[in-house]
Amino acid sequence: MKGQIRCRRVKAVQHALTNAMHLLLVEDDTELARQTDIWLREAGHTCAWCERGGQALMVLGKEAFDAVILDVGLPDMDGFTVVEQMRARGFGLPVLFLTARDNVTDRVRGLKAGGDDYVTKPFALEELLARLEALQRRSGITPLVPPSRNVGKWTLDPIKRRLHCGDEMVELQPREWTLLEVMLANEGRILTKKFLLEKVWDIQFDPGTNVVDAMICRLRRKIDAPGQPSHLQTVRGKGYVLQALS
Amino acid sequence: MFSKLFPERMPSTWRLGLLLAVLMACSTTLCITVAGWAMKQNLSSIARAVVLDDLGEYAVLYNRNGLKEIKDVFAAGGHENDQAVRITSSDGRVLFEQIPVAVAGYRWPDNAPANLQASQTLLITVEHDRREQQLLAGCQVLNDGNILWFGRTDAEDRAYVEHIRDDLWLAGLASTAFMLLPLWWFVRHVLRPVQDMMKSTHKLAEGSTDARLVAPDAVPELQAFASAFNAGLDRIDALTTELQSANDNLAHELRTPLARIRGNLEIHHDHSENAAAREAAARGMEEIDRAADLVQTILTTRAGEHKALKLHLETIDLRELLTDLHDLYKAAADERGLQFMLQAPESRLAPLDRQRINQAVANLLDNAFAYTPHGGAVTLALSTTDDQNRILVRDTGPGLSATDLTKIWQRFTRGSAASANTPGMGLGLSLVRAIATAHGGQTGCRNRDEGGAEFWIDLPCSV
Repeated sequence: MKGQIRCRRVKAVQHALTNAMHLLLVEDDTELARQTDIWLREAGHTCAWCERGGQALMVLGKEAFDAVILDVGLPDMDGFTVVEQMRARGFGLPVLFLTARDNVTDRVRGLKAGGDDYVTKPFALEELLARLEALQRRSGITPLVPPSRNVGKWTLDPIKRRLHCGDEMVELQPREWTLLEVMLANEGRILTKKFLLEKVWDIQFDPGTNVVDAMICRLRRKIDAPGQPSHLQTVRGKGYVLQALS
Repeated sequence: MFSKLFPERMPSTWRLGLLLAVLMACSTTLCITVAGWAMKQNLSSIARAVVLDDLGEYAVLYNRNGLKEIKDVFAAGGHENDQAVRITSSDGRVLFEQIPVAVAGYRWPDNAPANLQASQTLLITVEHDRREQQLLAGCQVLNDGNILWFGRTDAEDRAYVEHIRDDLWLAGLASTAFMLLPLWWFVRHVLRPVQDMMKSTHKLAEGSTDARLVAPDAVPELQAFASAFNAGLDRIDALTTELQSANDNLAHELRTPLARIRGNLEIHHDHSENAAAREAAARGMEEIDRAADLVQTILTTRAGEHKALKLHLETIDLRELLTDLHDLYKAAADERGLQFMLQAPESRLAPLDRQRINQAVANLLDNAFAYTPHGGAVTLALSTTDDQNRILVRDTGPGLSATDLTKIWQRFTRGSAASANTPGMGLGLSLVRAIATAHGGQTGCRNRDEGGAEFWIDLPCSV
């Protein structure tokens, strides 16, 4: 059964409690800002909201934040300029762009301006959280906790890139291994197809063919024990989630 | 009419130069020929007058005092070097001869013509065995029946004509040099500006949008042409920029509301315990993701068709790109029971926007996968020539109808083999074409002899 994950929210909250972040949200769309604020609070983070770039730069001077979520299309100046000015004023905190422009040129421009990651609208909450936490880990705000090295009965062998359990062994192809690693690093989090395509295949568009689904199925066949609920669940409309312990 | 006169690749400076030189040579030759002929006419009538005149004078002297008078005249000196005087008897004996070296050796006639009356004068031309110069000679029957001969060579006249001819050649050369002034003007004010403009248009063709035609020294017509052309380019540039920013705005205007709806659906989904409500929210989110992709596809296609697509060019190994795509689609091919083969024998570096090309090839693969029945085969291949890279996707599906072949690349056109179950809105191939166009490439398709269709993207080796 393509499972409904009941423990999802509980897990997210537990996760957040250990790594609660104080975030600055810069977004001129009131409705989107309201939703994002709700999400972030539900996930255990706290959030301050600005509508304009200039305002954000002022708030940054007064208050300490762990990261900034920054819309590219702001009424007074674009997000790229905000980041450039932030960096010029010596603020080194991670910046995640929120944008409606989906092309590599803008992505590169954003990263060049000093941004750290990029989410395109419309986006899924969990994708935003996964990216924020990755930024947090990278910037060393939280100590790097190595992700679990066990999925069900299997122990991962990162050198030989295969799974073993006693004498049993499963060989993984390179992409299967990367997929498993990305999912394990975000264990318990629902990851969108878009996120997986980008992290595993470096592809920033959605192929019409169900390539991710097919790969998840293949991985499922390799790691799942017969008769047991799958470690890799599909959540309709949202994405895929890995539960290391059944 | 002169175009066939010259070798095809000869620059126009040389053509004009050669043409001018030939024209000047012809006109100088004509001048000299005509002038030479006219001078000869003049000189010969003068020479006849001189001969007749001198002959008359000698005849008067002889008739007055006989041979003695003539001898006295010569003894007194002052005789010209190119004139000869003879007196012969009526039976042809030479009675007197005064012939300087310059006039020696001419074959004088033995006697005057029998019908020549006394005091009548006859002019004849006498040839020399070895010299070119002719001797114009006159004879007159004197009062005592003897005959007076007077001859004068045309050596002096010839030297004169020769001299004038040399001068004329010199004048011709000088005027040819003057005629080259227009050539210099042509090169500086017409040809060089045209060459500069050609360089600018080459840059434009290579994709640089800021190249403009510059012609400060050009003739007014060329300057007018350049400024009209530049105005057109400015307009295209402005339109392109406008299209780009309109695209950005449209993307923003369309995707932000989608994001709002999706956010609300997600909150609804996560907070609902009702399975049917969750299912409905999930379907809604899927639809929104599809709609967002559709917006992006339409905007990208629109930009690509008008060369307004922003490309992020990197040097990419096409074999690697295709290998990764093969890897991405392999599991899906296995699931569909399709054989999926990769034929990319050699690596090939090219400046490309990796994501865009990925997307274009992925669209062709999506198509092939959608139309190829279970048990069929799809091939992804790379074929290269010196200046072009061709990415091919072959399938064993139903192939294309005659209408498909011409229309399939247009927006919202679906292949005739599409059924209600085949996904897509007929935008995939127009996006492929738009991306290829943005890279300066082309797309094509055909039915394979073995059955099935073949689609390809041609990309130039340098953009």
